Amino acid sequence: MIQRDDFKSLSQAPEILVAEGLRKSYGPRCALQGLSFSLMAGHILGFLGPNGAGKTTSIRILTTMMEPDAGHFVIDGIGSEHPNEIRQRIGVLPENPGFPRHMTGLEYIAYFGQLYGRTAAEAREHALGLLEDVGMQQRAKSLIGSYSHGMRQRIGIARALVNDPVIVFLDEPTLGLDLRGRQELLELVQRIARERNTAIVLCSHLLSEIERLCDDVVILNVGYVVARGSVAEVIGRVEKNIVLRNILRVQVPPDSVTQAQQILESLPNIMTVTLAGGLAGYMELELAGADNGDSGNVQQINNKILSMLIRAKIPILRFEVEGGRLEDVFLHLTEDVIQ
Amino acid sequence: MSSLQNIKNASLSQGRALDPALPAWRLVLTRELADLWIGGRALSLLLIYSILLGIMAYIYSFNTALDLIPPMEAVSEMLRHALAVSAFMGLIIGADSLSGERDRATLESLLLTPVNRRDIIVAKLLAGISTWPMAYIVAIPYLYVLAQGDPVLNLALLWGAITGTVLVVGYTGLGMLVSFWSSSDKTSYFVSLGIYALLLIPAELPGDTVESVGWFLQWINPMAAVNRFLSKHLVEYGAVAEFWTWLISSTLLAFLSVVILLKYCGSNLHLEARVSNKVWAALRRAVNLLVIAGLAVTSLLASPAHALQEDDGLSISIGGGSKRVRMGEKVEINTVITNNTSAASTHLIVAMNIINLDETGEAVDPEDWSPERTQYIGSLAAGETVDLEWIVNPILEGDFIMYLALIPEPSNTQAISHPVASSGIHLTVTPFTGPKSRNILPLVIGEPVLLLAITYFVYRHRRQQIDLGGSA
Repeated sequence: MIQRDDFKSLSQAPEILVAEGLRKSYGPRCALQGLSFSLMAGHILGFLGPNGAGKTTSIRILTTMMEPDAGHFVIDGIGSEHPNEIRQRIGVLPENPGFPRHMTGLEYIAYFGQLYGRTAAEAREHALGLLEDVGMQQRAKSLIGSYSHGMRQRIGIARALVNDPVIVFLDEPTLGLDLRGRQELLELVQRIARERNTAIVLCSHLLSEIERLCDDVVILNVGYVVARGSVAEVIGRVEKNIVLRNILRVQVPPDSVTQAQQILESLPNIMTVTLAGGLAGYMELELAGADNGDSGNVQQINNKILSMLIRAKIPILRFEVEGGRLEDVFLHLTEDVIQ
Repeated sequence: MSSLQNIKNASLSQGRALDPALPAWRLVLTRELADLWIGGRALSLLLIYSILLGIMAYIYSFNTALDLIPPMEAVSEMLRHALAVSAFMGLIIGADSLSGERDRATLESLLLTPVNRRDIIVAKLLAGISTWPMAYIVAIPYLYVLAQGDPVLNLALLWGAITGTVLVVGYTGLGMLVSFWSSSDKTSYFVSLGIYALLLIPAELPGDTVESVGWFLQWINPMAAVNRFLSKHLVEYGAVAEFWTWLISSTLLAFLSVVILLKYCGSNLHLEARVSNKVWAALRRAVNLLVIAGLAVTSLLASPAHALQEDDGLSISIGGGSKRVRMGEKVEINTVITNNTSAASTHLIVAMNIINLDETGEAVDPEDWSPERTQYIGSLAAGETVDLEWIVNPILEGDFIMYLALIPEPSNTQAISHPVASSGIHLTVTPFTGPKSRNILPLVIGEPVLLLAITYFVYRHRRQQIDLGGSA
């Protein structure tokens, strides 16, 4: 149990968000067990975990929608015992945000601006600026009921920024968006963090997004934190265990498969080369001599494979080391649940 | 997309507490009212309400024309319907207030703002009762036409406003409480409508026929009790001091629901509906206390509103207070005769007398006013009681006193009988005015049309405010 005095030091920390030992149970079921992490201003934190891992519970606790059974957190120097003050400093886009269909985007954002203390004129002006920033100025006076899902997500982000928050919580912001919508929204998120120096907590199932966008990551599994740190740290920490499986995947053009297969089979460290189903020209390589967990040795084998293929002028469409991606780390760490 | 130049990163960590430009409850209330009225829900409800009221008014007007229902009763009945529908509107708006936001996932955004939960509750409650003034205004012309100039209109307007406000606040609060504890609108509507139906059914029981349990059920039911009060006060001209206890349950409902909303819900409004064991225990205790208190009040107040006259162990009482009727309208009067002695009485005769208070006025021949001027009830056993009903049809205009004389039949021709007189009740008879059903037809058609026109203009005005160009 964290004592109040402990958080005097926490509240003086440069981090925007510091969470320590957050716990929550629903009856006998433990939803969250000892969540601790911190987040710096301008950083994007990826919040990962399979369904039921405790992500939404964590977000609801951190956004003051729910009280933890134990633990404490500090946002911008304000302890969790002051939820109203915290609400003035945070912005949230919930997982399934609802919007009033009969209001226009401008009315909606201006209304929230007023709720945060702005006068009607100030709120309207600020709302127009926010709508421009999220690319919704053209539809500002249209009813929200006429917006597409992507537009609503943008309006949701504008609403989350209406109080100039120090930290923004985005729970599955790209859910249900098409590829272009996803890209645009993630760019927006990145710009918010970069240009406003706002800390962002991003929940997403799209691990490639997290890997590309986030500075830090927290992986939850059945309520427990199973990994925490920068994306590189988390991958590096887990990679060693996963590499023991010695799997490498290479994709080349289909007409070069035979030539590539011959080259790869001639290498001493490659035990088997099999064509993987699904994608044309996709091969799975089982390596020998990497099972001592020496990542330097693995790097050498990888370099050797790449140089041989390049020398043979075979285009390399894809080159993946199993365990080298956040997705592999995630699957590895949440294996128990998936099984 | 443009750069984020408009998003200022001003004073992120320095004194961000913002002073509200307007009280939060007013902001939320303005939004709620806009949603309710400009969104069209309230206007649609009012439109249906005015149509229902129009149908009822036409029926009452038609019946009044046929002399089936006197104007004061028609006014009382119309007021009863207006209150029932207004309370219903408050109930369903209240029932949607919180669970609806949960369903539409809009509550979270509101709770994430620094707005005090109590302000949200206050705003929603005020928005919920906002339909009542309009509903009352819609009802006034109907009451006016049905009253046909009878002074009962002023009383009806006064007590309609008072009891309606109390009832609508109570029912809206009740709906909000159900909504507070419901995770979905479906549940909230189901429970609220169930409660409404439950409270409506006893209201339809004829009050005079129910015994003590029925009396208690009617007394504790806010809607039935208010109806009873209005009926006693407006139709039978009963004094407020005599019937004020019928307003206790509705006042209690309004008071309790508002207090619970502000004190409990105002600090426990959460994203998800939940009822703690403490709340269940408190509710159980409250219901038990309410039942005990109700039974206690029943036993204290259940004594009939009859003025007793006793003599030689025989008593006769006359029900109700003063009455105001039109010439030709029927008045029902109940009397109770009791033998309070320990022996059987002789045969008893009850005679009705009506005295004209204007000494220059025409004398009343009770036989012209009532088909039964005298009733013979035979002998009463010790402690036995008998109810008698009198129907009086006044045919003269003026002020009269009506009383009944209980005459024990003398045992022989030489014996002297000692009649017992009941209290006298004041009977004011006013001239009869002709049927008015033709006057109400323009109103029955006009009011819904007017509301429809208002709805259309609100809709058109709203469309002019928004950009309708292309959907996503």
